[in-house]
Amino acid sequence: MLAALIAGIAAGALYACAALAYNVMFSTSKVLSVTTGHLSMLGGVFGAWMMTGLGWPMPLALLGAVLIGAAFGLATELIAIRRVLSRSDEHLWLLSTLALATMVQQAVALWWGTEPKPFPRLIPQDFSAGLTDQKYWLPVGVALFLAAGLELFYRRTLYGKLFVAMSEDAFAARARGIPTDLIRALSYALAGAMGALAGFAAGQLTFAYFALGLTLTLNGFVALAVGGLGSNLGALVGGLALGVLSAIATYYLGGEYQQTISVGLLMVVLLVKPAGLFGSQQVRPV
Amino acid sequence: MSMRHWIITVIVLAAMATLPWWAGDQYQIHLASLIGVYWILIAGLNLVVGYTGQLSVGHVGLLAIGAYAFSILAGRHEWNPYIALLASGGIGAFCGLLLGLPSLRLPGFYFAMATLAFSMIVTEISLAQGDLTGGGAGLPVPGFPAPFDSPGGFYSLILVVAIVVTWLTWNVARFTWGRALVAVRDSVVTAQAVGVPVFRAKLMVFVFSGMTAGVAGALFASLQSYITPDTFVFELGLFFFVCIIIGGRGTIVGPLVGTAILTALPEVVAPLARWSTFFYGLLLLVVVLLVPEGIGRVAEVVRNRLRAKRAESITIQPDPERLARALRAREAP
Repeated sequence: MLAALIAGIAAGALYACAALAYNVMFSTSKVLSVTTGHLSMLGGVFGAWMMTGLGWPMPLALLGAVLIGAAFGLATELIAIRRVLSRSDEHLWLLSTLALATMVQQAVALWWGTEPKPFPRLIPQDFSAGLTDQKYWLPVGVALFLAAGLELFYRRTLYGKLFVAMSEDAFAARARGIPTDLIRALSYALAGAMGALAGFAAGQLTFAYFALGLTLTLNGFVALAVGGLGSNLGALVGGLALGVLSAIATYYLGGEYQQTISVGLLMVVLLVKPAGLFGSQQVRPV
Repeated sequence: MSMRHWIITVIVLAAMATLPWWAGDQYQIHLASLIGVYWILIAGLNLVVGYTGQLSVGHVGLLAIGAYAFSILAGRHEWNPYIALLASGGIGAFCGLLLGLPSLRLPGFYFAMATLAFSMIVTEISLAQGDLTGGGAGLPVPGFPAPFDSPGGFYSLILVVAIVVTWLTWNVARFTWGRALVAVRDSVVTAQAVGVPVFRAKLMVFVFSGMTAGVAGALFASLQSYITPDTFVFELGLFFFVCIIIGGRGTIVGPLVGTAILTALPEVVAPLARWSTFFYGLLLLVVVLLVPEGIGRVAEVVRNRLRAKRAESITIQPDPERLARALRAREAP
């Protein structure tokens, strides 16, 4: 039971990271990108490839994976978001990011193979460590680090304040002379780096697997919707709640109903509290 | 429809009806049957995605439900296949209702994620409930009795169902209901303001699309003659979705052509088969970025672009003579 709980917390931390990446992109563009989970998938796959395939040392592979995540985030903004946001149709971004996510997932599947491949140890540690194994606490550490770092970034730095200004009102921010296109591109690169870092840290838990992206897009979104769109604290709480709940359910019911449970949680929260636990009330369209 | 449209429709229908006699081999008939089965689902989904603007990517889940319902009822319980076919449609409609009741209240991205999750849940349950669905090993599916037991005969059955479904969706699309759906797609607030019951309209087309998906699932299962959970992967749901977006939203002919081309293309161009899903993604991206109206309107869009440029190239010059005339006319009285 304890082992199941700890595994659940670790998986929940990964969901929380995906939800944080959603938040960063949503703050500047009001877009929920389908590619969010694929950022972590790229971090995991490229991390494993650089360490086992190319034989790079761990810090260099970490840097490489994070850079690839950031580059993919930037490419998402340039290809799938920028042109689409200038049109009035509000759901086109869903189609364009879905298309990009499909392309990336298929390309990785063809290049890397459809089997999950093992991810090397990051820190020298004996495999008999049990519950204190690094694969459990690395994702948790990264999730806390990312949440705290984002909070500091938003409160203490000028660029963070520009992000906040854009999330409040992009038109007003533009009128005050903020280069909104540049800030949006930066936010996508930042989200890419965060997602890839999370995928790298959780690699030993999830393995380097091409189909991780879509699952993580869904579960990160469930964590985000449960915690409340736009709230970083909500992302952490929602992610951990989802991870622990599916771990408990897996313990009692068996592993076949993972998605059913996460979507059940989403539906219950949306019925009781449509804005999520820590979200702000949505404004009516009229 | 004008006279020309009627003539084209009759010619196309005649060509499709006589296909078993002029098709080169069995495989081409199989391919045509597959296009027909996909179209039965996509015709219903088109009302949801193309007309109402609800981006459902999870209809493959409803297809799977229809397929399993048919194989269990007609195969294990030995029901009459026609009654099992109708029952599959009914079960598909009921599951569409169950899915639509909570999820159609959600805004765009939430709805898409709910349908994506639904298709994953169906796969999970079909794997977990091995006693009912055969688990990962799958189920054999019975065929239809004569005269529909041969490939050509089964093709004609599919063709009849497809024509009936197309006629139904055409009837929905061209009258008040279709206008109401388009209004919901373009602006929910405006639709509400002019008295469209938004949620009921969405739910009704969604349940209808569940019915067509159930029927399509039954025919699909019978066509494949053996189904496993691996048959109903998420990429198949994405494929249905891409067919509609590429064909153009708010038409029936566009998605029909899109379905036929996208189904046949990887089969005809063999090297594409491996890359087919990547190719669908690329095609979706290109269409969304360049012609969101759909490939059917490429010519129109290009023409509009060209015309706009020509209008810009007109130079504006002062016309002293006309000005002088105007001034004189003003001074005259």
